[in-house]
Amino acid sequence: MDLGVFEADNSVSCRLASAVPEDCKNEDCCLGIDEAGRGPVLGPMVYGICFCPVSRKEDLKGLKVADSKTLSEAERENLFEKLDEAKSFVGWALQILSPNTISTSMLQRAKYNLNALSHDAAIGLVQFALDSGVQLKEVFVDTVGPAEKYEEKLSKRFPGIKVTVRPKADSLFPIVSAASICAKVARDRVVKDWKFAEDLGEVDTEYGSGYPNDPKTKSWMLKYLDPVFGYPQFVRFSWSTAQTLMDSKAVTVHWDDDEEDGEKAAARQNNTSMLSYFGRNKPAGQTQTRETHRFFTERRLQTVDTL
Amino acid sequence: MTTKKKRSPHTATDSWVVIAADSALETEKPQNGDPTFVKLKNPATGATSQYLFSSGDERVYEVKAFNEEYRSWFIGQMVQRDGRLLYVTPVDPVFLVLPYLQSGEVEGKFQPLQQVVMDEDYPACTRLLKCKQALESVHHVADEKEVSSQKFHRYNQEKTLEWLKKKVENTVTALKKTDIAVGGAVKSTTYVRVKQESDATEEDYLRYAHGLISEYISEELSKDLHKHLQLPEISSPKVEPPSKKRKLSDKPVEAGEDYTKFNSSDFARKAPKKMTAAQKSLAKVDKSGMKSMSAFFSPKVKQEKN
Repeated sequence: MDLGVFEADNSVSCRLASAVPEDCKNEDCCLGIDEAGRGPVLGPMVYGICFCPVSRKEDLKGLKVADSKTLSEAERENLFEKLDEAKSFVGWALQILSPNTISTSMLQRAKYNLNALSHDAAIGLVQFALDSGVQLKEVFVDTVGPAEKYEEKLSKRFPGIKVTVRPKADSLFPIVSAASICAKVARDRVVKDWKFAEDLGEVDTEYGSGYPNDPKTKSWMLKYLDPVFGYPQFVRFSWSTAQTLMDSKAVTVHWDDDEEDGEKAAARQNNTSMLSYFGRNKPAGQTQTRETHRFFTERRLQTVDTL
Repeated sequence: MTTKKKRSPHTATDSWVVIAADSALETEKPQNGDPTFVKLKNPATGATSQYLFSSGDERVYEVKAFNEEYRSWFIGQMVQRDGRLLYVTPVDPVFLVLPYLQSGEVEGKFQPLQQVVMDEDYPACTRLLKCKQALESVHHVADEKEVSSQKFHRYNQEKTLEWLKKKVENTVTALKKTDIAVGGAVKSTTYVRVKQESDATEEDYLRYAHGLISEYISEELSKDLHKHLQLPEISSPKVEPPSKKRKLSDKPVEAGEDYTKFNSSDFARKAPKKMTAAQKSLAKVDKSGMKSMSAFFSPKVKQEKN
């Protein structure tokens, strides 16, 4: 697994893939989807797919790929090696969603939540397999959100493919376990030697698991909190852990899509209540001063009284 | 999610982002000193506004600020909270002298400018008299008399209006050179016009230019100028629609329509001619001992004692 492509620019989403085995182009295939790094506040979320001919499903079992969570890091690396050795019939592909991608998606004006982001990553990978010529017949997915809805969404998107969405699919179907190993290995490697885009000097790499409840992670985040910029791109800004810390420790930043109480916002913008237009008298203050010519108001130009 | 953030009041900043003409910052003659910001009375509003004198008070500039919400500057390695962009642009000093000349008119006498342009609230206004342009152009708005090499001035309304008319005409020329939309159509700030506005009439330009010039003169003078330019008044729907409130009268209120006939005996409720299969089967159900639905909503009726 060569992560160089992602490490070259870890601020964006990136796809890595193995070569597609010839068998997969000629025979009916099954495909497993799983993800790693959904919960942590640090590092990327990795989506992985693994595919092999339906006839070789049993061979996967022989590799003893099991749910990645029950395995140690060394065991996972070991299993990934085995999967790589089986490249005559097993293929994989990964979508690495950088923490920056997650932050900017979830915090943009038109909110794009994590579930949608996950679904789209999964769909993108399946489409990638199809585009690469894999003869897909069955897809197995570990669920994100309600299983039935997700299954329906995927079935509609890929007619002709039997989609099975199950919670804990990674322990039920070996192909999903294999996908989960690929994803987890990639995430571990990326997090382990994250290349910080920011100039932080000698970076303390004791950030623990990256999960919000890990005390090591929390103290690391406190240490690297910049009052103006917040965090390095390694941190998912959209996580409430990051937001709460920034709210209490960093400078307040206002955006024009910040939610505010309607009335308060109106008062601040010097708006008049809608009701006042129905009354007999125009609201006070509006009639007194001359209105600035629209040349200036349209250009947001004001006279300056004090500097 | 954070929904409410407290806005701390703006604290005074000690730096601004300014766009200024080179001439405003000229320091060719070091004896003239640095350009200085001063406060003067705004000729249109009478309120305090910021101006800048440069080249030893030879030139005067007004200060405008581009100010939109939710803006800050990153300057070098600093963040500046005040996101305004200040513009320092030349202003005709005659506009600033005009209110003083006008108020001197009441006395109707010729006076030296030094006696006219005086203001306790804005002592810096005397510096206007050092402006070349002010001295050169003041005859456009005032009568001049020279007695033993000292000049005396008196405000002249006709001259002023003629001068302002030329200002408006100059503005119209300038407006036509740029693609500023002067028409009456509502403009969105985010809407960018692809084609140049071609449907703007001469009157649109004149009206727009008048509005712009009015930003530099008193309201009264603006109205006089409006007349002088023979601009038609905009017919605004000043007349308010008649009140919809019902007139009070002594007569008792009566219903507009009579619904009582439906309660009378000759209004026999007829069964609907056609019933659906479901309704038919419902009709066959034994309803003895069942209360009607409406019974649950009507006020409790006391049971008659037998």
